[in-house]
Amino acid sequence: MMNAVEIKNVVYKYKGGTEDSLKGVSLSVKKGETMLLCGASGSGKTSVIRLINGLIPHYYNGEVSGEVNVAGFNVAKTELFELAGVVGTVFQNPRSQFFSVDTYGEIVFGPENIGLAPDEITRRAEMVINQMDIETLMGRSLFELSGGEKQMIACASVAALLPDIILLDEPSSNLDWDAIKKLREIIKIWKEQGKTIIISEHRLWYLKDLVERVIYMDSGKIAHEWSGDKFMELTEDDTNDLKLRPTIVKEELVRIFENNTGDNYGIHLDTLETITLKGFYFSYHHKTFAIWKKPYSADDGKDLNLCIPMLTLPKGKVIGVIGKNGTGKSTFLRCICGLEKDCTGSIICDDMEYKKKNRIGFSYMVMQDVNHQLFADSVEAEIMISMKEKNEKRCHEILDSLGLLACKNTHPMALSGGQKQRVAIASAIAAGARLLLFDEPTSGLDYGHMKRVGELLRELVKAGSTVLVSTHDPEFIAECCDYLIRIDNGFLIS
Amino acid sequence: MKLKLDPRTKLFMIFVVSAVVMMSATTPFLLAVRIIMTIVPVVLLIIEKHFASAIRFLALYVIALVLTFRLISEESTGFLMAVLVGYCGIVVQFIPALITAWYVIRTTKIGDFVSAMEKMHVPDGIIISLAVVMRFFPTIKEEYMSISDAMKMRGIEMGGGNVAKMVEYRMIPLLFSCVNIGDELSAAAITRGLGGKVRRTSADILKMGLVDYLLVFIFSVAMIIFMVFKYVI
Repeated sequence: MMNAVEIKNVVYKYKGGTEDSLKGVSLSVKKGETMLLCGASGSGKTSVIRLINGLIPHYYNGEVSGEVNVAGFNVAKTELFELAGVVGTVFQNPRSQFFSVDTYGEIVFGPENIGLAPDEITRRAEMVINQMDIETLMGRSLFELSGGEKQMIACASVAALLPDIILLDEPSSNLDWDAIKKLREIIKIWKEQGKTIIISEHRLWYLKDLVERVIYMDSGKIAHEWSGDKFMELTEDDTNDLKLRPTIVKEELVRIFENNTGDNYGIHLDTLETITLKGFYFSYHHKTFAIWKKPYSADDGKDLNLCIPMLTLPKGKVIGVIGKNGTGKSTFLRCICGLEKDCTGSIICDDMEYKKKNRIGFSYMVMQDVNHQLFADSVEAEIMISMKEKNEKRCHEILDSLGLLACKNTHPMALSGGQKQRVAIASAIAAGARLLLFDEPTSGLDYGHMKRVGELLRELVKAGSTVLVSTHDPEFIAECCDYLIRIDNGFLIS
Repeated sequence: MKLKLDPRTKLFMIFVVSAVVMMSATTPFLLAVRIIMTIVPVVLLIIEKHFASAIRFLALYVIALVLTFRLISEESTGFLMAVLVGYCGIVVQFIPALITAWYVIRTTKIGDFVSAMEKMHVPDGIIISLAVVMRFFPTIKEEYMSISDAMKMRGIEMGGGNVAKMVEYRMIPLLFSCVNIGDELSAAAITRGLGGKVRRTSADILKMGLVDYLLVFIFSVAMIIFMVFKYVI
C-alpha cells in the first residue's frame, strides 16, 4: 500500500534563521494512520506540519533539502492550490484562520476556491454540518463565536474540501475542557472515515486511544517513537523527563472540570489576610434610559453577565479561575481591574476601599496576547512608562528579579513569547499593582514553559502579590494554584 | 418578511445616491425626488429589522429638514444660526448617502458581495483584495480595543500628554499584530486553495428579483431627473 506521507531526510532552515529547524527528518505515515507529533516548542513539530501541507517551501521560503511526497504528489513541485483538495490543515489560532466573516461562508470558502459546482458545494456543506452537528452555529458572525466554536468551524471548513490527509497544528491551545472533548469527537469521525490524521500537540490526555503512533521530536530531529498504547502507558516520571505534559489528567482535576458543583474544599479564611470584592455587577447589554445609565444591581438577575455580591480572596496566594469558554472568566477579570467602566463594585484591602478608577492602579492584568501590552521601544523604557516616579535602580531590580536585565535594551517585540510575558509582568510590578490578573497565560505553551510560568507566579506570590489566573489547563492548576473559583454565566459557584 | 436584495442593486443604489447628493436640489420637485430617495433605504432598513438605526436616521433627517424650512431664512444672522445652517445643510445634503451606505454594509455578506463582483467580471485580484480588506476591519477593531484596554490599564491613554507618543503607542502594537494575523491568515487561505488557476465558483446563485428591478428603475429615474435638470434645463 502506498504511504500517505513520505518525508525523506529533510533539512530545513527558515529564511533568516541561524539554526536548522529540521535536521534530517525522515518519516513515513501509512494511509489511514493517526499520528501524534509531540515535543517542546521549537522542536520542529510545526515545521513538519508545514512540510506536509506545502507551506514549506512554497510560503515560508528557506533552505530545504530532501524530498517530501504527499499522496503521490512531490510537494516541492506541486502548486499549493493543487494540494488543497488533498491535505487540509487546522491551525492553532482560531482567530487568524478565517477568511469570511460568517460561518457558512467560511465552510464553503474552500470548495468555492477549487471551483466546484454550486449544488455540489451546498451538498458538501450540508454533509459537513450534519456530521459535526454545528447547525446551531450557522448564520452567525465568526467574530462573536467562542474559541471552541471557531475551532469547530475551522474543522468543518477543512473537512468540506474532503481531504484524505488532515493536519492539526496544536488545535487545542485555545480550547476549554468541553471544546477539547468535542474536538476529540471530530478526530474520531475522521478516523472512522479512514483519513490520515497527523496531530501536533502539547496536551496529550484527550488523544488517548485515538493515536496509533507517537513521534517525539527534539531540536529538529525525531528522537523517539512509540505505538499509541505504549505511549499512553508512560508514567508521569517518564513524561516529565521528556518535558511533556502527562498523558492522563489526575482524577481530582477531572472531577473539577467535569461536574459543576465544586466540592467544598473547606477553606477557612478567617486566619488569613484577605482581599474582598464587593458588589461586582456588570452586563454587556446596556440598560440605557434616555440619558443616564442605571447602575447594575443584584436585582437585574439573569440579565447580568457578572454577578458577584461578595467574594473573599486569600491574600498572597495563587487563585485559579475556571469555567467554560464564554461564561464570564474574562469579564470577571476585566471588571476587577476596572476596564469595564460601568461595572459597579469595590475592592477592599487593608481597610482601604478601591473604587472605579482606582481599581486600575490596584490591579493589573497580563493579557492572553501580550503583544497588545507592549508599547515602548526597549524593555527598560517599557518598565519606565509604568513607574509613577522614574527610578532606574528600581527598574533594574525588577528586571533582574525576572531575569530580563540582559535584554533591557532590546525591542520588546523582538523577544520570545515567554520573555514578552515577563516584561508585561515586570511593568505590572513597576506600576505597584498588588493584585495581578492573568488571562490564560499558558495557552499554547509546552510543558517546560508552562512549568516556568507556574514558578513565576509562585515567586510573585512570595514577593507579596496576590495572583488571580484564569485558565483551563488542568496541569497548570495542579502546578501552582492554591485555590480555585469557578464562574458559570457570571455567577460564582464554589 | 425576508427581502434579499441583489448586491448589484445595492451597489447601483450607492452609486446613484452618491451622485445625486453632489447635485443641489433647486426646485421643490427635485427636493421631493431626493426625499423619496432618502425614504427608500430607511424603509429597507426597517424591513431588515434594523429599527433603531432606521428611526435614528429618520429623526435626524426630519429634524434637519424642518429646521431648514421653518427656522432658517435669508435674514438669519448670529453665531447660533450659522452653526444651525451649517449643520442642517450638511445633514439634508449628505445623509441620504450615509443611510444607503449603512444599509448596504449592514445587510451584505462578504460572500454575496464577492459573487456579485464576479458576475460583473471584476478581475479576481481586485475582488480578493477587497474581500480581505472587508474581512480585516473587524479584526483591526478587535485588536484596537484590546490595545486601548492595555493602555488604560497602564494609564497611558493620553501618552503622557504627548500626541506623537499617543499615536505611537497605539500604532506599533496594532501594526505588529495585524502583520502577524495577516501572515497566518494568508497561510491558512492558501492551504484551502485560494489563488488557484481554476475559476472560483459560488455557493449562492444570485438572481435579480422583482424588487431589485423596481429599485433599479426608481433610482435610474431619479438619476435621470437630476441629470436633466442640471445639464439640460
